[in-house]
Amino acid sequence: MGLWDRIKSTRLYKSIYRNDYPDTPRNQVLVILNSMVLHLHPVKIPKKQVRYTFTFGLGGTSLLMFLILTLTGVWLMFYYVPSIPGAWFSMKALQTDVYFGQFARNLHRWAAHGMVIAVLLHMTRVFYTGSYKPPREFNWAMGVVLLLLTFLLSFTGYLLPWDQLAYWAITVGSNMAKATPFIGAQVQLMLLGGYEIGQATLIRWYTLHVIFLPLAAMLLMGMHFWRVRKDGGISTPIPYDEDEAEFPPQPEAAAD
Amino acid sequence: MAEEEVKSTRPQGVAPAPNPKANGPQPGSPSLSAPANKPEVGPKPKGKAADDKEMVFVWPHLVSIEAIASLFFIFSLSLMSLLVNAPLRNLANPELTPNPSKAPWYFLGLQELLLHMHPALAGVIVPTAVLILLAAIPYIDSDRRGSGYWFSTRNGVRITVFAALYTMVWELALIILDEFIVPVEKATTLILESGEKLSVSPGVHWMNPHGLSHGIKPLFLHLFGRAPLTVAIGEIFIPSLLMVLIPYLLWHLIKRRYQANTRELMISMYSFFIASFVLLTIIGTAFRGHSMALMWPWHITPPIGI
Repeated sequence: MGLWDRIKSTRLYKSIYRNDYPDTPRNQVLVILNSMVLHLHPVKIPKKQVRYTFTFGLGGTSLLMFLILTLTGVWLMFYYVPSIPGAWFSMKALQTDVYFGQFARNLHRWAAHGMVIAVLLHMTRVFYTGSYKPPREFNWAMGVVLLLLTFLLSFTGYLLPWDQLAYWAITVGSNMAKATPFIGAQVQLMLLGGYEIGQATLIRWYTLHVIFLPLAAMLLMGMHFWRVRKDGGISTPIPYDEDEAEFPPQPEAAAD
Repeated sequence: MAEEEVKSTRPQGVAPAPNPKANGPQPGSPSLSAPANKPEVGPKPKGKAADDKEMVFVWPHLVSIEAIASLFFIFSLSLMSLLVNAPLRNLANPELTPNPSKAPWYFLGLQELLLHMHPALAGVIVPTAVLILLAAIPYIDSDRRGSGYWFSTRNGVRITVFAALYTMVWELALIILDEFIVPVEKATTLILESGEKLSVSPGVHWMNPHGLSHGIKPLFLHLFGRAPLTVAIGEIFIPSLLMVLIPYLLWHLIKRRYQANTRELMISMYSFFIASFVLLTIIGTAFRGHSMALMWPWHITPPIGI
């Protein structure tokens, strides 16, 4: 009995992994059912859906970016001080005094851009493959809200380094918000937490960035993934002949 | 492998439809626009075809792809993070406005709109309307057919390309018009960068603006005076009209040219949106320099005061 077999026969190992390595159909089913991470998937899916060029894995890539951002974000919070002008100095210190500080910050920044790109491309993929169509309408709408949350997450993070880039981007942004018809002044006051950009603004956007928006995004992502499963997995072609009676042709199609 | 799969989606006994254009749809993709009795529509996918429903285990067929893709992206991001540092500019200084001050890239499309219209329109109304219209797509196009295929119909790719080109031509023309049309109210002498003096007579000119107010809005003020109503016409009414008219014309063009059904019309509208987003983002990022003036990317110098 080898060492690995011995480890696998311990009560500790068996309490964690309830099935053997998934190389038999039975264990290939069990691994999905038993694992919290994997159970997002069905046990089996149509072969066509596995093809990379159907989805380009963009939804999954968006999630991966979010996970990288969560990990690096928590790490950055150990060093970042949301005060004026302390925020900028803590960023400087992070880049020069902290092991892997610059690297972690870079990772956070580039993953943030990556997430915006991945989410936009994911939406475009879903659109052009017609995957928004019933029964997936509501999941598409939820996806639009997730796109907005992605933009807001990225933009709130943009303010936090408190450098010239951040400060003036917020100035442009809050001036645009001020142009909201009828309630512009109130909207601007709410965004800035005062009449000008300052400590109150930074704390507001920091809280949105590290707690509120990520929680909202996580909740919506959970619902988004759950709906993908409930709506029958990712889209597959509708068998026409069976559905023709139930879903009559569009008026335009009938006309010609 | 891929070819095998494509073949397997064809119902048995149905020959592939003749496909004169190279970039036509994949075999087996349905055409929504044509009624069922037209033979040139091409084969329809049939749910009963056993090959179409071939199932595979998620472990290892999907899980392996996910693992490889994750490793690829983690590796690429790490490599980029080693090579390119995230920017950290000077400490924020409320007294020093950088020139130009630009938003992050994904908002530069909106910032580009801001140059051409009222801020309420560019910053609030247009983005809100875009999000609502995007969310409304499946409630307008509620036919289940056409999902699960790239571009859904025989004309899907053609409509996408047509709509994208149509959008870009319109928007480029408007951006250039707004940049180079210069109404001059009284005779002015300009001193060019070369030191040369240039006398400009009153009237509407087509020239590089040289710091003079330029574009459709001042043209309107020039022609009709400075009453609040004419200001509103220049910065609210005309831009709104154009933003409705351009997609409206596209809708009808697609409908007539391709006898388009609802799905195809949605394809044209989404292509209008995504082409606008891409074009305006590129213009805002790479073609706007000091004072947000339109210029070639190689003429753009780093922002001042940053």
